[in-house]
Amino acid sequence: MPVEVVTGNHAAGYALAVAGEANRFGRGAACGIYPITPQTEIVERVAAFPFTKGRVVPVESEHSAMGVSIGASLTGARAFTASSSNGLAYMVENIMTAGFYRLPIVMVAVNRTLGPPWNIWADQGDSLMLRDFPWVQLYCANNQEVADLTILAFRLAEDHRILLPTLVCLDAFIISHTQGETDLPEQEAVDRYLPPLDLPHRMRHDDPKTLGGLIWPDVTTSLRMEIHEAMQRVPEVYDECREAFREVFGREPGAALDAYETTDADTVLVASATVATTAREVVKRRRAAGEKIGLVKMRMFRPFPEAALREACASATRIGVLDRDYAAGLGGVWWQDSRAAFQGHRDDVILQDYLVGIGGGDVTPETVDRVLEDLAGRDRAGGPVWADVGNGKGGGA
Amino acid sequence: MVEIRIHGRGGQGGVTLAKLLATSRFLKGQSVQAFGLYAAERSGAPVQAYCRFDDEEITNRNLIYEPDHVVVLDPTLVGPAILGGLKAGGWILLNTIATPESLSAEFPENRVATVDATAIARGHGLGTRSVPIVNTALAGAVAKLLDLPLEEILAALDHLGFGGGNVDAARDAYRLVAEHGPQREAGSRDGDARPGAIGRGPSFLAGAGGDLPGIKTGQWANEQPKRQQYVPPCNHVCPAGNDVQGFLHALAEHRVDDALEILLRTSPFPATCGRVCPAPCMASCNRIQLDGAVNVRELERYAGDKGEVKLVPAERREERVAVVGSGPAGLAAAYHLALYGYGVTLYEAGSELGGLLRTGIPEFRLPAAVLDRELDRVLDLGVEAVTGVFINRERLLELARNHDAVLVATGLQELRALRLGVGEVEMVSQGIDFLDQVRSGVPIRVDGEDVVVVGGGNTAMDAARTALRLGAASVRVVYRRTRKEMPAIAEEIEEALEEGVEIDFLTQPVAVQRMAQADGDTGEQHLACRRMELGEPDSSGRRRPVEVPDSEFSLPCHRVILALGQSPDLSVFPEGTEVREGAELLGLLETPVYAVGDLATNDGTVAAALGSGRRVAMHIHQTLTGEVVVSGEQTRVRSDVDVWHDEVIRDEALRMHLFERRPVESGEVIGLERRHTTFDEIHAGLPSAGEAKRCLSCGVCNECDICVTYCPEGVLKRVGHDLVFDYGYCKGCGICVTECPRNVVFMSHL
Amino acid sequence: MSGTTETRNAAGPFSQIPQVPCTDDCLLRAGNTNCGGCGMSIALTMLGRALAEADDTCMLAIPACCGAVTAGAFPTTSYGVPTVCTTFGGVAAVASGMAAIRDLNEETGQVICWAGDGGTYDIGMATLSAAAERNDDILYICYDNEIYGNTGGQRSSATPPGARTTTTPTGKREEKKDIVGIMAAHGIPYAATLSIAHPEDFRQKLLTAFTTPGTKFLLIHSPCPTGWKAEPADSVQLVRIAVASGLFPLYEVFDGRRYRINVEPDWTDPADYFRRQRRFREDEVDLDTTRRVCRERYERIKHMAEAFPV
Repeated sequence: MPVEVVTGNHAAGYALAVAGEANRFGRGAACGIYPITPQTEIVERVAAFPFTKGRVVPVESEHSAMGVSIGASLTGARAFTASSSNGLAYMVENIMTAGFYRLPIVMVAVNRTLGPPWNIWADQGDSLMLRDFPWVQLYCANNQEVADLTILAFRLAEDHRILLPTLVCLDAFIISHTQGETDLPEQEAVDRYLPPLDLPHRMRHDDPKTLGGLIWPDVTTSLRMEIHEAMQRVPEVYDECREAFREVFGREPGAALDAYETTDADTVLVASATVATTAREVVKRRRAAGEKIGLVKMRMFRPFPEAALREACASATRIGVLDRDYAAGLGGVWWQDSRAAFQGHRDDVILQDYLVGIGGGDVTPETVDRVLEDLAGRDRAGGPVWADVGNGKGGGA
Repeated sequence: MVEIRIHGRGGQGGVTLAKLLATSRFLKGQSVQAFGLYAAERSGAPVQAYCRFDDEEITNRNLIYEPDHVVVLDPTLVGPAILGGLKAGGWILLNTIATPESLSAEFPENRVATVDATAIARGHGLGTRSVPIVNTALAGAVAKLLDLPLEEILAALDHLGFGGGNVDAARDAYRLVAEHGPQREAGSRDGDARPGAIGRGPSFLAGAGGDLPGIKTGQWANEQPKRQQYVPPCNHVCPAGNDVQGFLHALAEHRVDDALEILLRTSPFPATCGRVCPAPCMASCNRIQLDGAVNVRELERYAGDKGEVKLVPAERREERVAVVGSGPAGLAAAYHLALYGYGVTLYEAGSELGGLLRTGIPEFRLPAAVLDRELDRVLDLGVEAVTGVFINRERLLELARNHDAVLVATGLQELRALRLGVGEVEMVSQGIDFLDQVRSGVPIRVDGEDVVVVGGGNTAMDAARTALRLGAASVRVVYRRTRKEMPAIAEEIEEALEEGVEIDFLTQPVAVQRMAQADGDTGEQHLACRRMELGEPDSSGRRRPVEVPDSEFSLPCHRVILALGQSPDLSVFPEGTEVREGAELLGLLETPVYAVGDLATNDGTVAAALGSGRRVAMHIHQTLTGEVVVSGEQTRVRSDVDVWHDEVIRDEALRMHLFERRPVESGEVIGLERRHTTFDEIHAGLPSAGEAKRCLSCGVCNECDICVTYCPEGVLKRVGHDLVFDYGYCKGCGICVTECPRNVVFMSHL
Repeated sequence: MSGTTETRNAAGPFSQIPQVPCTDDCLLRAGNTNCGGCGMSIALTMLGRALAEADDTCMLAIPACCGAVTAGAFPTTSYGVPTVCTTFGGVAAVASGMAAIRDLNEETGQVICWAGDGGTYDIGMATLSAAAERNDDILYICYDNEIYGNTGGQRSSATPPGARTTTTPTGKREEKKDIVGIMAAHGIPYAATLSIAHPEDFRQKLLTAFTTPGTKFLLIHSPCPTGWKAEPADSVQLVRIAVASGLFPLYEVFDGRRYRINVEPDWTDPADYFRRQRRFREDEVDLDTTRRVCRERYERIKHMAEAFPV
């Protein structure tokens, strides 16, 4: 398929559908779907897709959307869905169920501000609240990444070393509704990239098992350890998936994180999704002006790529984390995990949290500049800085 | 710090006991903890609760691994687990009926105390029957053991809002708990009450999740279901000894041949008895309390008419037995002896076999063809029949010399008569003779006659109904007693009345009278009678009829038929012989001679005669062979019955509410209009054996499998004909007991 | 067949299905931790036998309820069929997904939701309603013990008026939700009430459900000796009285339009039903109202059955 100009939602819906279609040689595909702004176009696209062996079940709630996908996955199908914001919150119980049951479900989450009051614009607080569940989380910075990481997510999730559901996140409107050139992979190539799903613990009449029931503390501990071990294998398997992706599609889908100009940087910004792309513009400009400044663009949030982050920031003594989210009582979620990544490894770093673009506020280069100015002027890290306040970018039309 | 571990079962109130104990200490100002080890256990599952109290603040929130004392709420929990970590010298308080002395050997290092808290709890109505709540009683017992004033426990009860029976239970247990000191001193021992160590467990990705639960839930039970069997009333009363419940069960399952086979174990004449038996089984049937007795008689006929069984006698024996008389008793004896393998010769004075079955029962009740078919069943076993030979005393001695045993089954040959004065010779005949003549084709007609039949038995009814069929203008039965005392089969009385026979009860004929007419010609004939009333009971137990003074009246009468019963003819035996069933007669000879049937018992029913013949045949077989003969009556062959009851089960022991009402089936009866002209059998028989499904199978498992259907655990199974309880898993809920309609399952306390 | 005496609610051939050893691969295995006398256990056993009779198989989806606890502790299970324990309110959706994949792969076997009244009448209502509206090919069985039994006995919208629960300490005031009416109103092909005290009727309805495509809803009156505070041995008798007295009418609704009554109540006085359960107090149960409500409910169903027969 040629490169087209489509929205992020289009790319996501397309990727989910062709991945599902690719399992027509296996036990087919299914999903429960439920609309919520701004992801609705994703499930609409899925619903319109002419599956050879697939079933789209329009349900009554996000909880049931994941429920249907769980049921389909349990019986060996490739299952997926998409949601956003309060939809994710409503789905939470089944989201964790999918994780605990080790079902390789892929969900696209369009990051939208949690409410009420109602706000439909970009904020990662919705998907980041799922951080403690057994889900791999990937964050996209453009439409191409949406298409590529969604397809890659299936291969990663379905790998027998992993068997964890995977969340692919994109910013509301900034990606979901923004048209951009996107190479939508051909079905034939996707078929090659995604072999039929073989779920080792799928429900089958010839070997009846019970998933669920009760569990004692010792066995619970054991199953949690198994999840942790699978999480630990994710970076390695992810890289294998990237390599295969490059072979099949001739394109780099993106590493767990991209280090930009960090080699000798004394100051590094850590950011994800579209905030990272904006920050990159600033870093590029400042590098040109001679500043030793770099950027780490995070794609993977779970498992958190601690080692890669430390390595990318090896030369830096000032690190600013840009969070388009707010965890009440503490600060940004990315910042918390970044800070923890350095704890016990380095104590010479000023690692400061900046809350930017909260509730979908526009994160402009000026905002990033203000962040850098603040960071440069610090002799110690402090509490989170509400970097948007007073920038005049968060109001209505 | 004092730490107490409580072992109980879900629902018994172990956690509440911990709270009660804690509360009593809290009220005295101590720091306390009470908690359960919560999991998914349900009512009945073994669970643990803990209580600790101290003067200092308690900060430890672990489980209790080394308790000072242990309380066991349920005696079935006594096992190694209760000793886990228990400190030497600590109390073990057990809820059991056992004495502490009897248990102290099991717990040599501890003080043991026991109290029957279950009985106390039940006595005060605490909990349900299967799960009594024993915690408040045991709280009282704990107080006693720990030297706490009872008032402190009562205060805790009050503080927590427990009243009534709970307070009384605590008081009782405080008073009743029995104590015993340790056998010896010792150190602590290995504890195994600690939960499993944390480590790598199973993974469902690796295929786990399908193992059997393996929880032996049978340990939860404090009662277990067992199988029992009672004697059904029908089996108990059947004079022939038939397994009535057994053959009805076979019929209900559409196993007609099996039904016949069961009947043939005890009687050669199911088709016959199925027509003429007074059926005491029906009179005793528990189903009367619901919606009417099971129509056993007709069902026996159905089996006799429709079933086919090829009888195979045992291997032929050398011994020979002579049977004198071919009535039902003689035939039954011959039949059973032939089945045992004896050579049997039957001697009949008359020209045809069958005795009273042939001569005394009219065709419309027992067609000759039916009788012949059943006779053939006996003869086909190799029984030799000699007819036309009267056995007198001398011939009897000769038979005894030529045979290994002789049975005399000559029945009741002496007909009772009644002096009725003039005209007796022409007008009066015996019912038995009348019936035999009609049967054998003597062209008798009674057209236009007023016929009076005297008596109240079946012969009276048969004679009356025969007279109707021979053209009588009226037929009147006179009987000295009331309907209640009439020995005839109730149904036959009903049918006779239907057909137009009139019955005068409490009436005694006195004399035949000829009324002189004015012209001097032979006048009308009358039967003079007197009214009677019932006085004191006589030797038969029936109330003796007494004449009412000045009550004479007369009935128009052309013919009197007597049916007053018969008595035995003992002339064949030496003077003074005491004739009774099973007694050896003619003891001077080596060969045993036995009297059988009515001759010996004077019972008067076919069924009784059959039973007598069979019992004596068995007796002879035992005498000749020394073998213990298994009766053909219901035998205890079932291996899965735990308790056999000899008593008869009555309706109040059945769960009648579980049975559906359903009307009795009787089959077609030919129309009244034809009954004055035809000797055709009036009952057509049942069209199907569906009536057999009405049998309640009282006290006997009939494999309805309701218990199997309802067993919540699915651990009650039918394997072949056996009920198998898997006590390893049976939780003792008792549903199989409450749902068994026929009281075959009962709960046994462990 | 055996079972010769005709009893009320005769077992019929129901118990005659060749039984595999219960410790092996029957639907409900021995060694489960359900309470003694559990009505749900009886219903599960009957379900297993009906499946065997129909030569059918099933997968179970069980929301949080006693039925999930029945499975026991992983890695053991009391279920001899593939089983997934789902979230409390989500069982019907999971079953829809399972059924979709069964159908896509042209496989057989029932997908059965086995849910308590809490997961059906209450928290799972929306999900169930949606599955029914889509007429997904699932068999939804609610074993109704009229209480949140798993959590120790709280009120549900299936709790009958007068019943004391831990959250209605002086007896519930409201009537039970008419769940069959609600489900029938979806126009699903089959909705029916079942009683373990009527095993033959129970069996017939299961067999009907197995062969009916689309959403089937079965409501089982399931005695809970622990929650009802009754003798375990009385379990079956209690629900038998419930049918006889009109408290729990046995009927079927086809396509939401056509009605059939299966057992005519003989109007046994329900007083005994209440007396035998300590969840009811004499002064908290209005027997006259109960009798009237039973009559009216039955008359309503009867009118439907006469006006719109099967």
